[in-house]
Amino acid sequence: MTNGEFRREYAYHLVDEVKKGRMTRRQMLVRASVFGLSVTAAGQLLAACGGSDEEPAGEASGLPEPVMGGTIKLIGPAPITDPDPVTIYDQGGIVLVYQFLEYLIDLDNNNGLKPKLAESWTPSETGDVWTFNLRQGVTFNDGSPFEAEDVVTSIERVLDPANGSGALSQLSGVLSPGGVKAVDQYTVEFTLDKPYVDFPYMVSSGNYNTAILNRKYKGDIVDNPVGTGPFLLKEYKSKQKAVFVKNPTYWGKDAQGRQLPYLDGMEYTMVEDNSAQNLQLQSGAVDVQPQTIFQGAQALFGDPNLRVDIYPSSGIREVAFNMNVDPWKDNKPLRQAVAYCLDREAINKALYDGRSLLGYDTFWEPTVFPGSPPSTARAQDYDMAKQLLSDAGYPDGIDITLTHAKYLENPQYAQLIQEQCKPAGINVKLEQLSYEAYYAGDDADYYGTTPWLNAPMTITEWGSRPAPGIFAAAMLLPDAVWSSSHWNNPEWVSLFDQYQSTADEASRSDVAAKLSSIQQDDTPILIAFYITQLRTQKKNVFGIQGPGSFYCDLSQAFMTA
Amino acid sequence: VLRLIGRRLLLMIPTLILASLLIFALAEVLPGDVGRSILGPYATQEQVDLLNQKLGADAPLYERYLTWAGNFVTGDWGDSLLLEVPVMPTVMEALANSLLLAGFALVLIVPTSIVVGVFAGLRRDTALDRTITVSTLSMTVIPEFVSGVVLLYVFAVWLKWLPVSAMPPEGSSFIDRLYYLILPAIPLMFLELGYIARMARVGTVQVMGMPYIRTAVLKGVPQRRVIFGHMLRNAMVPTVTVIGSQVGWLIGGLVVIEWLFVYPGIGQLMVQAAQTHDIPLLEASVLMVAVIYMISNLIADIVVALLSPRIRMGG
Repeated sequence: MTNGEFRREYAYHLVDEVKKGRMTRRQMLVRASVFGLSVTAAGQLLAACGGSDEEPAGEASGLPEPVMGGTIKLIGPAPITDPDPVTIYDQGGIVLVYQFLEYLIDLDNNNGLKPKLAESWTPSETGDVWTFNLRQGVTFNDGSPFEAEDVVTSIERVLDPANGSGALSQLSGVLSPGGVKAVDQYTVEFTLDKPYVDFPYMVSSGNYNTAILNRKYKGDIVDNPVGTGPFLLKEYKSKQKAVFVKNPTYWGKDAQGRQLPYLDGMEYTMVEDNSAQNLQLQSGAVDVQPQTIFQGAQALFGDPNLRVDIYPSSGIREVAFNMNVDPWKDNKPLRQAVAYCLDREAINKALYDGRSLLGYDTFWEPTVFPGSPPSTARAQDYDMAKQLLSDAGYPDGIDITLTHAKYLENPQYAQLIQEQCKPAGINVKLEQLSYEAYYAGDDADYYGTTPWLNAPMTITEWGSRPAPGIFAAAMLLPDAVWSSSHWNNPEWVSLFDQYQSTADEASRSDVAAKLSSIQQDDTPILIAFYITQLRTQKKNVFGIQGPGSFYCDLSQAFMTA
Repeated sequence: VLRLIGRRLLLMIPTLILASLLIFALAEVLPGDVGRSILGPYATQEQVDLLNQKLGADAPLYERYLTWAGNFVTGDWGDSLLLEVPVMPTVMEALANSLLLAGFALVLIVPTSIVVGVFAGLRRDTALDRTITVSTLSMTVIPEFVSGVVLLYVFAVWLKWLPVSAMPPEGSSFIDRLYYLILPAIPLMFLELGYIARMARVGTVQVMGMPYIRTAVLKGVPQRRVIFGHMLRNAMVPTVTVIGSQVGWLIGGLVVIEWLFVYPGIGQLMVQAAQTHDIPLLEASVLMVAVIYMISNLIADIVVALLSPRIRMGG
């Protein structure tokens, strides 16, 4: 079977799943996008399913007519280092890179995939070779054409450990150096280490270090900002500001065929302090804050000149039980006891004004990742918690220590856990470290010493991931470098292998249900909520796109008078 | 006076060496390292080790110190490890910004606090004295992040009279720059006013009780001449010393104000450098602030010596 035939076969399979009621229409669109089916093709699929087209979430409807020109002012934290796409990992870096560089694939508001520099992609029948067809006629702003060779060098660059890219930790075990090949000028082939049906996410903007750079890139992004994106980096002043102007030769057009971007330029002011950012917004000095933090944002919600948009995101605060050490080792009832102490709704209310989505200690959460198998809610239940505590061998209560960084809302979350555990007889001692200390470790043995991977119980912040499997692979597999729980459940691991290589949606969904229920039952980590994302802008600003955390696509943004 | 200056300048050298050593040692014991700061939590330890090796951050401490110190004294301040820009212009630019803010604040603070303090001292134990003392002291205890936010909210967000940021757009005139500095200077004035005014008041009260002032008053010298001719010169000695000791803080210690008003000064630069283990940048910024501290104290001592012959003679 050729790749094209396989894709058609898969499309029929998706339609079948929807017709049989085993899949929602939204989930079908997301899965269709992962397998590289175009929007038109997906529309035809929907028609084949019967019924009308479903309106995706977002602000798409009711937008005013776009206005051309103007320079939009953004405010946010400075990138920790230069915005080198190979090594960025923070909000500042991600927002800036997104303006002048592009990815093979972009994420949409449902965490589905949409073509960007790649026009289409197909897996081989076995799921371990993926072929990407690139967009033609795209040029970098230095005039050189965008071709397969640029993709090969960009991806191989992040695969080389010497380049220090965080993308490597996501790609390890999936794609090895030498696995990317230019088939011809506009076709790239990825040969994976194993079948992996979610692979397209790995080379999407969801894996932000995989931005496509010119093949001649030397690591000098600020002096030589060459990209294919809608804007050009005109000026960069470390820790102060970045100025962008419109890329006059940008390939993108809107639905009416108008040249993108609409704006003439963008200025990004770097301000670390959150309240200082909010004051700048309220004074009218800036137009957009790409990421608004709940704490301290009340004044913004009530400001008549500002609009706060809420976007779904899957960021979490992972509460991990370290199963290498006591008391968590081989003690499932104890871990479950803590889980039953949590009043998740009260936590959501206290930390996020009730605006986040509730989680029940599994990644397969249908409200966050549409189409996931239903999860079982875990309400606060002290009788149950006390019983479990007794089963765990601690009928008279237990003292435990929770280690966390003084960072974001983690200290407040830790206090809530402490309060809610007390009535069950679980006394939580809080160990608060500075952000630096929490992630620090001995040079000789970082993984064996750093608090976030070694303390008995920890809170670690994780940014949005587009699919449950990507979260799980990063922190729940026994060989995952970032596993704070050190969970090793052979049954789950073998099911997960199956999940990653299964293209058939019905069997994939069955496997997901098992994975989810084992994860929840064994409770290696607590996931009490999935954080929604806020973006604040003036009321005359429209058309900003960007799901998940940090992304801020301004190519279709505009400001009315 | 010249001997005093010479000796004090010589003393600065061992002080600076000691300070630079301390910074290295402290940066060493602080958790984290520069490679991890650059690559972030998602990079693997192998990658971080490779980078540290490339940056020379894995060499023994004394070796790194000697290399750095050798280069520093010859004027080669190196590059910031994190920002990949030369250290000297970065530090100098931030220092110039801080000097301008501190200078502007001092121009507001010094005359106001002296006038207020002397006035209170002359009206000792009256309702006016007490009002001045209580109100200036209350201002002093308001932390700058509180007064700063309130001022910003009232004057920048609500009334929109003054800009919310302390940095004007590029190409603005000097006057414009000062206009942008009004709002950040006020919290500093709040902090310093009570302190310096109290010193001026104490000096005034003390000197006004001296026999020679009483003699002058009894001789029928007009009050204005008593104050400007005899009293002020002597009453200012403790005030000048205090001002001298505050200048260093006004330049290097304004982290909160710089943060709040988005002002690229040296205080912020130092904090960032310390957090990220960017030693070349940290060393240069701290040493520059130390130099400013010492120079401002020296100037204060010289002024005191000129004001008071007794101290001058005693050396």
